Amino acid sequence: MKDILSKLNKTNGIRGSMIVNRDGIVVHSDFSVEVAETGVGAVASSILSALEGALKRIQMGRFSRFIITGAENKVAMVDAGQAILLVLLDREVNMGLVNLEIKDAAAAVREKSKM
Amino acid sequence: MPFLDFFTQWRTNSRIKSLESQLQGRPTPQLYLQLADAHKEAGNSTKAAQVLKLGAARVPVCPEIIRRQAEAEKIERENEKKRLIEKIQSHPNPILYARLAELFKADGELEKTIDTCQKGIKAFPKYGGTYLVLGQIYVEKKSWQEAVTQLEKSVELDKYNYLALKLLAQVYMELGRPADAAQRLEDILYFAPGDEAILELLKKAKEKAGQPFVEKKSSASASSGNNAAVSSASKTRIGSLAAEQKGTPSSARDKQINAGVTQLRTVPGVTGAILVDQYGLVVAADLSNEIDEGLAGALITNVYRTASANAVKLNVGTFEEGLIEGENGNIHIVQLDEMILAVFAKADVKMGLLEKSIRDFSMLVLQH
Repeated sequence: MKDILSKLNKTNGIRGSMIVNRDGIVVHSDFSVEVAETGVGAVASSILSALEGALKRIQMGRFSRFIITGAENKVAMVDAGQAILLVLLDREVNMGLVNLEIKDAAAAVREKSKM
Repeated sequence: MPFLDFFTQWRTNSRIKSLESQLQGRPTPQLYLQLADAHKEAGNSTKAAQVLKLGAARVPVCPEIIRRQAEAEKIERENEKKRLIEKIQSHPNPILYARLAELFKADGELEKTIDTCQKGIKAFPKYGGTYLVLGQIYVEKKSWQEAVTQLEKSVELDKYNYLALKLLAQVYMELGRPADAAQRLEDILYFAPGDEAILELLKKAKEKAGQPFVEKKSSASASSGNNAAVSSASKTRIGSLAAEQKGTPSSARDKQINAGVTQLRTVPGVTGAILVDQYGLVVAADLSNEIDEGLAGALITNVYRTASANAVKLNVGTFEEGLIEGENGNIHIVQLDEMILAVFAKADVKMGLLEKSIRDFSMLVLQH
């Protein structure tokens, strides 16, 4: 898991990443900036709960990804099977360029968490 | 003189960039204060207030930031009050009354709050948000019966109003009606499944009412549950809540906003759009017939509320927009002043075109 995050974090525009289980417990994290990891894990879990409820009721199917753009940075929460991959990005990052890296990392986390 | 102005502006902008860069690395209270001062010097008091708000959230133990943030917020509120009063005179709508009343309430001006609510209710009696603000005032005064009257009215007009339902449940508890409180809390869980604060309140209400409490953690369980009132109601399409609730469907503003929402749906790949206020009440919507407008508004507001309340903790700063990707399509959520726009689209929508259309719509809303 650690290697997946290190590889992902080498991508331009990515400031760090984290793997959280669905209860909000941090499995692994690697950030280049100061982040309150436990709090972020809990928040990711509560956002996921709201998202899954919403998507189900309006027939949008299974949750895949949520990207929040804020005044300072972006964050992407990605479904990775039994876990969530959370990626912190520069606000002005070109999503087209990082999408593939994030997708690959999420697939790798999904595979690992099956083991 | 112009050269001096240019030089001063360049120096301030360079300082802002440098401080922002330092804050990204290791945020300290001093850096937040310096950045706020720099924005103020650049003439951008709104940005200065945002920086202080962020600083207060990140470093809540620094009294200087808290004091400066309170001062900045007070100034922002005064400016907003003036803007809203002018807007009410030129383009009245119920959201403006409710927002103005909230600002008076935040400054402890109770008489003005009540007066604004009463005027709002008189002009737009079918808008639930104003009853909610009035209910909040009665809760603060511990006038429980009056609070129940206003909050029940608010919930009657908008069965998906999170704040009104939660407050009504709390008032029922004060009045020794835990079973009624439990019912209202279960109503909330229908559109806010897994909400921990609500689950905690529900547990207490059920204990007091002598009813068994079974925690339903996943969203899947909530839909089939015990929420008879909301789930049966949700089968009825709410229809044009905007027209029904706002009372003036024919105003030029409403017409333009409705036309703007309809226009969004003409973008290839867009399947619907909805504009809701801060309470989740639908202002305008153009959705497919299978989707209940009121429920969609409540669900979107719940996601927005959860994400925006936690955006600082997630290290993104204040929430600006969100993109939810699901198996069957995407939802774009954008904050527009005191409202939230959600656009539903297929996965293959042309993002550039959609973003341009959303920007055009934003301009339309913000102009009014």
